[in-house]
Amino acid sequence: MLIQTTQLEKQVTTQDGTLHILQPIDLAINAGETVAIVGASGSGKSTLLSLLAGLDIASSGDVLIDNVKLSDLDEEQRAKLRADKVGFIFQSFLLIPSLTALENVMLPAELAGHKNAEQQARELLTKVGLGERLTHYPNQLSGGEQQRVAIARAFIGTPKILFADEPTGNLDSTTGHKVEDLLFQMNQESGTTLVMVTHDAELAERCQRVLRMDSGRLTEVARDVA
Amino acid sequence: MWHKISWRLLRHELRRGELTIMAAAIVLSVTAVLSLSLFTERLQSGLLERSAEFLAADRVLSSRRAIDESWLDEAEKRGIQTADRVVFNSMAFANDQLALVDIKAVGDGYPLRGELRTADEPFGAEEPTTGLPNSGEAWVAAALFQELGLQVGDTLEIGSSQFVVSRVLTYEPDVGFSVFTDSPNVLIRYDELGKTGLIQPGSRVRYNVLFAGEPSQLEAYEEWLTPQLNDDTHNWRSIEDGDSPLSRSLQRAERFMLLASLLGVVLAATAVAVAAQRYCQRNYDVVAIFKTLGAEKAQIQKIFILHLLLLTFISIAVGLALGWFIQAQVIEVVADQLGANLPSASWQPYVLASATGLVSAVMFTLYPLLRLIGIPPLRVLNRQLTGTDKLRWLHWVASAGTIYALLLIYSQQWLLSTALFVGGSVAAILLLTVGRLFIRASRQAGMQAGSAWRLAMAGLQRRAQANSVQMLSFSTAIMLLLLVLALRNELLADWERQLPDNAPNYFIVNVAGSDVDALQQRFAERNIESNDMYPVVPGRMTAVNGVPVREEVTKEAGGDEADTATNNAEQREGFGRELSLTWRDDLPPNNTLTAGQWWGDDPQPQVSIEQEVAQRMNLTIGDELQFNIGGNTFTVPVTSIREVNWASLQPNFFMIFNTATLEEFPATFISSFNLPPERKSELYDLFKPFPQVSLIDLDAVMEQLREVIDQVSIAIAFVLVLVLIAGVLVLLAQVQASMEERQKELVILRTLGAPAKLLSRSVTYEFVILGAISGLIATLAMELSLYILQTQVFEMAATIHWRFWLFGPVSGAVVVGVLGRLACARLVRRNTAQLIRKLA
Repeated sequence: MLIQTTQLEKQVTTQDGTLHILQPIDLAINAGETVAIVGASGSGKSTLLSLLAGLDIASSGDVLIDNVKLSDLDEEQRAKLRADKVGFIFQSFLLIPSLTALENVMLPAELAGHKNAEQQARELLTKVGLGERLTHYPNQLSGGEQQRVAIARAFIGTPKILFADEPTGNLDSTTGHKVEDLLFQMNQESGTTLVMVTHDAELAERCQRVLRMDSGRLTEVARDVA
Repeated sequence: MWHKISWRLLRHELRRGELTIMAAAIVLSVTAVLSLSLFTERLQSGLLERSAEFLAADRVLSSRRAIDESWLDEAEKRGIQTADRVVFNSMAFANDQLALVDIKAVGDGYPLRGELRTADEPFGAEEPTTGLPNSGEAWVAAALFQELGLQVGDTLEIGSSQFVVSRVLTYEPDVGFSVFTDSPNVLIRYDELGKTGLIQPGSRVRYNVLFAGEPSQLEAYEEWLTPQLNDDTHNWRSIEDGDSPLSRSLQRAERFMLLASLLGVVLAATAVAVAAQRYCQRNYDVVAIFKTLGAEKAQIQKIFILHLLLLTFISIAVGLALGWFIQAQVIEVVADQLGANLPSASWQPYVLASATGLVSAVMFTLYPLLRLIGIPPLRVLNRQLTGTDKLRWLHWVASAGTIYALLLIYSQQWLLSTALFVGGSVAAILLLTVGRLFIRASRQAGMQAGSAWRLAMAGLQRRAQANSVQMLSFSTAIMLLLLVLALRNELLADWERQLPDNAPNYFIVNVAGSDVDALQQRFAERNIESNDMYPVVPGRMTAVNGVPVREEVTKEAGGDEADTATNNAEQREGFGRELSLTWRDDLPPNNTLTAGQWWGDDPQPQVSIEQEVAQRMNLTIGDELQFNIGGNTFTVPVTSIREVNWASLQPNFFMIFNTATLEEFPATFISSFNLPPERKSELYDLFKPFPQVSLIDLDAVMEQLREVIDQVSIAIAFVLVLVLIAGVLVLLAQVQASMEERQKELVILRTLGAPAKLLSRSVTYEFVILGAISGLIATLAMELSLYILQTQVFEMAATIHWRFWLFGPVSGAVVVGVLGRLACARLVRRNTAQLIRKLA
């Protein structure tokens, strides 16, 4: 079991009282699985993702990543854990505008202190088809290209888990499909566990498991495995 | 690894122009501080050097007895130049006539500072001279030519020797401003003094040695010499001790420069503060991404601290280079006018400037940086998160503390710094409050307006909080600019008043009472502007409250009589001897009573004394002074004490009596008048009927005064330009920062189909309103500050600046509006898709 939650809850206090964003969630994801979390806007998908990735803290319950309880870690230790085991892809790409494509991809490896960051980054960028655009800045790249840089960045530390938040949400459908193909292809090659938030049903269908989030409740979508 | 990332970020960001405002702000603060302090330091020492001309040396040792030769040897051993100067009164004889003259015997090297100027004929064209009269020759002032009917080449008898009058002496640097040296000067060589046979034991001679050298040499020598001096006989002087007529103007100029520089520093610091805030905000996403990608807090801290320090150091280096360059350019212009090289400055300005840049960059970034480092990684999913705001108080404390510290370090005057700081804080709070009220009121007014205006008003209202802070920096910038501008105008006008084009450039003394009307009529006929005629009665002050003056007031008798002379030391010795006394019904212009009352019609005998004399001799209202005029002794009470503006070019007196007390005594009259240089040739003809009248030419002195004022005016213009740049930078930084806030809204409106024209108009109007309100508040604040500064710091009369009430709001609206429109134009020009992507 790579990711496990027990009675994971998130609530916030507002003027009108307590708001339950996540109802108690028990979830287990095995290594190598691809999981899609679907649901309407505001249903709590992104909150769940942020808790799983240790970006936010749960109100109660636990998240275990590779048998490490996140609630036992402080922010520094959670950052270290992300550096070692986790990669991210975001809807808005979140590249650093003042760094080139190559430098953006190198960044996680450098932060983790890897020696051959540049070499790895070059290879990954070539793999995503951007070998010719290493020195381009994000604003010199199209949306699809930026997301490909983000994919390369997500894979650089050979993470065990990849969290993707609406990875094609900002792209037109043709570009979106290309990016999806690339993502799944690289995921398969590296055997990474993929946890993806999306409201694109077609994209969700490409994952082995689909979880539906509805008003903070998570249910497994039963499906025929072809 | 972190240092690589830091350096990489910096390199790219610099190249892409993302750090321009922050860098420019630091560069500007360093440039401003460096160029201003280098410039002031060099100008000051230049002016001091220039003023040294009034002494003809850097230091002067004077004595009643011949000066110990070994002291001169010691000075020469230390590499200090020396020259002898002996001054005394004697009779000179030529063409069967006698005249009292001041004889000045000078040794080689004289003058050590400044120059002598001579002419071929009286009132002829003068030229600078490097040498001294040849052996057996004398150079004589024009007045003596008149008095004795001399021609160049005539023989003048002084004591037991004869001198050929070879040139007309037109200018001596050390002649001073004394108009009561009523005897014309005769310059001879020091080594010919002996053969005149005039120096006898007991004769009233003043021995002087002039010294010139490097400041450090002189200071060391001073330390060696002063313990050996006898206060009763010796007098050691430097130009700083003197109350030169320039000093008041210069002191004001210095205070102005200091104040303007301080304001410039505050402005530059404000620009750094605004830019620092934006610098950190821009990096919120970057930090969130770093954290998401697994960066530890310590890593991020190191990356951004190094990033900021590198940026600061690079900016400081650029600022130092630029500051030096600007200052060198300005100095070149000024030096041309000065006709000399200004001494180079010390290392202190460099340290001061670097420290200013470093301190403001670090201190103003402290809080934004803390906040930046505390940005939660969750921001990658929720862009609203901006970290904790709990430490905001730290920001205010750090910023306020920094500004206060900068003021203090820069001015080294805690009173001025504290006054400026407290005044500024009160003004800031007022500005914030008034600004918010204005915005609320303008919202009401805007409801009736057209669509662009309505959008603008709505924008103003919605961002009321942000806008009032923005308005604070707009107002501060505009206010400081107006303040410096208004102060400069006041100062220049004040100098103009003091030295108008028709300021008197000649003094006449020794006018017989019977000639007064005739002379005044002659002036009127020839259209020459002259001052009042002042009667002069020579007399002695013999006792104070019954105690004879010689014992109580001066330890030593003798000395030069010099009523309007500028040197305190000589004045002190002058008492107990003959003074120039006058009478008047009303208080003379440029005199103000500081104690007691002016007599009006009161016929009771009474006297009004000058303030410094009163202090020095410890005289107060009601003291009974005894005077002796031509053998008649009488006693009068002191009924008032006056402050005299010695810089005014009119006859000024230590002692003024009411008319009834003095009018029966025989008197001569003195006055001053203005004659343009091109009419100089008329002088001879003008005074032909009055042979006994002596004429004193002040043109040279006036010229010096004008030159110095011109230089200071250039300096002030330079300060103004720097402050202006600082102000524009603050405005620019603020407009740019606020543009980012507006960006999102513009995108939405644009997406909804708002035409570009409507958007840029509404943004422009918003900035125009902000600018106008800021300008209005700034004018109000400026007027208040100026009132305090004028009355408290510059000792000038306060005035209201009506023009600025229009100029402030209009210039604020125009400048801020234009900057806003320019910044907005860039946004509107981009297509909507680009903008949306940028914001995503």
